[in-house]
Amino acid sequence: MDTYVILRRNGWNTADDLREAAARSTAEGERMPDDVTWIRSYVLAETDGTVGTVCIYQASSPEAIRRHAERADLPVDEIVKVADTVVVRPDPAPAQV
Amino acid sequence: MSAVTVRPTLLEREAQLDKLRTALAVAAAGTGRLLFVSGEAGVGKSALVRSFRAEIGGSMRVLEGVCDPLATPRPLGPLADIAAATGGELERLIDSGARPHELLRALLAEVDREPTLLVLEDLHWADEATLDVLRLLGRRVEASRALVVGTYRDDELDERHSLRQVVGGLATVPGVSRLELQPLSVSAVAILAVLHEVDPAELHRRTGGNPFFVTEVLAAGGPSVPPTVRDAVAARAARLDRSSRSLLDAVALVPTQAELSLLERVVPSELASLDECLGSGMLTSSTDAVAFRHELARLAVAESLSPLRAATLHRSILAALESGAVDGPDPARLAHHADGAGDDAAVLRYGVVAGEHAAARAAHREAAAQFARALEHASGLPDDEVAHLLERRAHECALTGQVEEAIASREAALARWRAIGDRHREGEQLCWLSRLHWYRGHREESEHMAQAAVELLRTLPPGRELAFAYSVMAARRQISLDPEGTAEWGEPALALAERLGEHELVAWTLVSLGSVEAFAGQGSERLERALEVALEHELEDVAARAYGNLAVTAVRRREWQEATRLIADGLAYATDRDLELDRSYLLAWRSWIALPKAEWDDAAADASAVLQTGTTAYVIRATALMALGLLRARRGDPDVWPPLEEALAIGREAAELPKRAPVALVMAEAAILAGDRERALAELAGFEPEALADRWIAGELACWRRRLGVARGDVTDVPEPFTLELRGRRDAAVGWWREHGCPYDAAFVLAWADDEASLQRSHEELLALGARGAAALPARRLRERGVRGVARGPRPSTRSNPAHLTARELEVLRHVATGLRNADIAERLVVSRRTVDHHVSAILRKLGVRTRLEAAAEARRLELLQDR
Repeated sequence: MDTYVILRRNGWNTADDLREAAARSTAEGERMPDDVTWIRSYVLAETDGTVGTVCIYQASSPEAIRRHAERADLPVDEIVKVADTVVVRPDPAPAQV
Repeated sequence: MSAVTVRPTLLEREAQLDKLRTALAVAAAGTGRLLFVSGEAGVGKSALVRSFRAEIGGSMRVLEGVCDPLATPRPLGPLADIAAATGGELERLIDSGARPHELLRALLAEVDREPTLLVLEDLHWADEATLDVLRLLGRRVEASRALVVGTYRDDELDERHSLRQVVGGLATVPGVSRLELQPLSVSAVAILAVLHEVDPAELHRRTGGNPFFVTEVLAAGGPSVPPTVRDAVAARAARLDRSSRSLLDAVALVPTQAELSLLERVVPSELASLDECLGSGMLTSSTDAVAFRHELARLAVAESLSPLRAATLHRSILAALESGAVDGPDPARLAHHADGAGDDAAVLRYGVVAGEHAAARAAHREAAAQFARALEHASGLPDDEVAHLLERRAHECALTGQVEEAIASREAALARWRAIGDRHREGEQLCWLSRLHWYRGHREESEHMAQAAVELLRTLPPGRELAFAYSVMAARRQISLDPEGTAEWGEPALALAERLGEHELVAWTLVSLGSVEAFAGQGSERLERALEVALEHELEDVAARAYGNLAVTAVRRREWQEATRLIADGLAYATDRDLELDRSYLLAWRSWIALPKAEWDDAAADASAVLQTGTTAYVIRATALMALGLLRARRGDPDVWPPLEEALAIGREAAELPKRAPVALVMAEAAILAGDRERALAELAGFEPEALADRWIAGELACWRRRLGVARGDVTDVPEPFTLELRGRRDAAVGWWREHGCPYDAAFVLAWADDEASLQRSHEELLALGARGAAALPARRLRERGVRGVARGPRPSTRSNPAHLTARELEVLRHVATGLRNADIAERLVVSRRTVDHHVSAILRKLGVRTRLEAAAEARRLELLQDR
């Protein structure tokens, strides 16, 4: 599987909406474990007051990512392939969403 | 964000879990219940109970007792287990050997202290004392606060079994009910088998949908019987006496089912043990035959036999079949047992017959296998018979896409004919080999063989083989998109074939001649006639090829209705007859119907399905690769270039230049979308519209030249949308694409306009079609014109409605309002049950209500259920 970045900009109106989306993402991801693996996400504070995410996934193909998103009802703005990972410092504590 | 806990769900057990939940609630409220959970071994009774226990977690006391599979089980075994956990009066009574009714009183006192789940497993092995307690428990359970769950294997209970009497006796007692677990359906097996490379229907057939077998087979991987299954089956078989075991062995060697009339001859004295075998649960019977309940168990027993024993049994079975034990036995059966008996002559004799039968039924894989087996035992046959057999095998292999095997068989046949000195048949093999090498993408070998065939056969009196050779040459010229060459060879081939009444050659030649005409825009009459002739004479491979080329023609012409119909008919035809290459060909082309319509998921599904078959046939593979790369480029997804580069690479090896033009066009589009004009120009260089026989490809090429500003001279005689664009009538061209159901092309052509309004519209439309990658083109051109603030486009998932429900949530709400339960909604939407649970809780929250009923009412009030 390759690693991909998925941008989901302005995807949700509230933090609760996002929480539910995360739960659906997990539920659907379990049904296709060899197709997608959710690695991590950063929640974005969009300027219009909505929230978005940058998600890192491992997937067998871009189509698998889209299939997963369709089932879990998640938006997909852009999928970009990850060439390499450079960790300069560990993440700060997660935001209180 | 809090972590989300993971719990794997059991398939097709939701209804039973609901019953357990309800029973538990009722029991906790004061009216106890006894639920018997029954089913065949391995169907998941314990898994169900475990899942239920995990659900309950620590919210309730759980007591568990298990019955032992011992020849003499310990008396009150499960109750002793329970007593060890509770201690107290119950333990004391068990130790002191109390009577059943005293034990029951103590047990009830124990469970009355708090609501309890009492589990008794494997009751089919229960001792008499336990059954006594169980009988009394059933009658008194309603007065307690316990849910008693008792599991047992119902395939191991004959009429006399004591548990059956207990269960039967309790059937009318209120508070007692039964849950029968069924094996999994094919769809459930398909879900479990996802990402394993197995055919779910085949897996279901082998395992009978038994969850234990299914999971073990998937875990073990590979085609053989998993060791765990072998052990489980051996354990069950070990409990049988000698006579029963012999009977079991005999039944195990007969695939599908063993007729009683057959068993009477093979194991006459052991038949008396039939009831015992049936009682073991391993066999089932109908009026005149006996079979294993699970194919997998049959294989396990068959494999456990010593070679000598197996050979002896096979010999008896073969003799019985030969002497009429069964009416008109299928030759495949005779071949199977002859093989097991090691009787070479019989394998050969029956194998050939079985192969012919299978071929006649269009079961080509089976036919190929039968001929292969016959050939293994054919050392004593004369050369010409062996050669004939090799040809039969080659033919069947080719039909099922086993091209390498077909080539090997044809070469072996060729060698035999040459040794015998039959030059006509030698020439014929060269013709077949030419075709086979083309399937493999070996252009040069293919041409070489065709030339050799013509040279050889021209020196002989003209006959069927010469017509074949001419036809193959015509096909080669057609493949190279050489209209003159095709006619040069095709017309004499057609004339000779018609004169000789060789329908198959007539049809093949018509396909070649008809294809060049159709691709050149001269109508499909000859292709249609080819299909007619092929269907009339049941010439499967020709018919499939004709369907394919007619479909391609329709796709090229953007005649979607016609194309869809032809592909659907062709797919049905090819699927029914195991014609896998042709199936793949049609699927690959179906993805090209979805691309102009921006149906990206459909296109991706078809293209991926074709690539997954692993076919190396050039046209099929390249068509699928191009579709996949292009849809990714248009969507703006990554991994665009690997499939396109592969299409380019295999094209160089397998196809002449004109044939590679479509790849160049696709790469040019991908390059332009990535902003790489140089790459686009490089890909298009070397192709001239005038030199391309396929005018649709020629037209598209000419338009690309114009768009990139490198048009050279006038291009005529190309289809309308291209002519319009070439003449500068862009709006008319866009209109043509739209009218012909090609929304993507309409929006894409618009992106080459020069005015801001058109570019904005193109950008909007491409975004709305989900073609973010393509939308980069008009966006870039707008920026080049100094336009700022290109609109980002509407997000499909945020809708303006009073409750801010998403499209998916509205969909779920509609189902909720019609009364569907979450499990059913999940099945409808093909998502996990938990996903639906989350949607429903989100809906309740957003609508500010607490129940589904209130949600439905609120939805009606807000008029959310009106049409989409």
